[in-house]
Amino acid sequence: MKSRTKQVLKILYILSWIIFIGVCIEAGGSIFSAFYTLAINSINARTFWAGNDLSGLYQYDPWHFFAETLLISIASVMKACIFYLIIKILHDKKLNMSQPFNREVKLFIIKVSCLAFGIGIFTWAGATYTDWLVKQGVKMPDTQHLRLGGADVWLFMSVTLFVIAQIFKRGIEIQSENELTV
Amino acid sequence: MPIIVNLDVMMAKRKMSLNELSEKVDLTLANLSILKTGKAKAVRFSTLEAICKALNCQPGDILEFVE
Repeated sequence: MKSRTKQVLKILYILSWIIFIGVCIEAGGSIFSAFYTLAINSINARTFWAGNDLSGLYQYDPWHFFAETLLISIASVMKACIFYLIIKILHDKKLNMSQPFNREVKLFIIKVSCLAFGIGIFTWAGATYTDWLVKQGVKMPDTQHLRLGGADVWLFMSVTLFVIAQIFKRGIEIQSENELTV
Repeated sequence: MPIIVNLDVMMAKRKMSLNELSEKVDLTLANLSILKTGKAKAVRFSTLEAICKALNCQPGDILEFVE
């Protein structure tokens, strides 16, 4: 492997760690905030995670508050899972540039594709749900602030990664044939 | 696979070891072993030519089709 590729992978590894810590804090924060609001102190809805005011939603119906925060939390946890997978594959050094087409990388791409699809579905559901709540007259923050924006991008990413996984599948076959050509 | 590699038979007939053949055809022992054990998925014409030259035989002596 070229030293430049090694350096790029090292930088990516460090960046992935930073982003992973960030998304973990975000996921943990939103889950804790939702739990705290529902179980301990409902005033916390005013200063829900990242400064979002969900007191209007909580006053409208705590169950709707629960559903909305559940969608936000699931999407956040799935984002953290994607970065966990990236860190894991970089940490385990499964990216072999001399033989790039291997089973581990294919599985990694499929897993990330599935997670991106899940995030796309949950953020889309969350954004649609938020729009519906706004139509019901509930004062809600913007979907971007609730980290529920960009569902279409996640779905597009999911489809693209799935196609790449299929190409990888063929690549593994060709690489195997090449290795067994005498 | 219906294609059988009879490399070991030809080597025995010519009383040639795998090491000796490896040196003559300029192939690694690992690759020759892949070919000998029938694990190979493809054989280059250049490899076949070198083996035939080293063993003084025809490609048909090394490869056999069995249904």
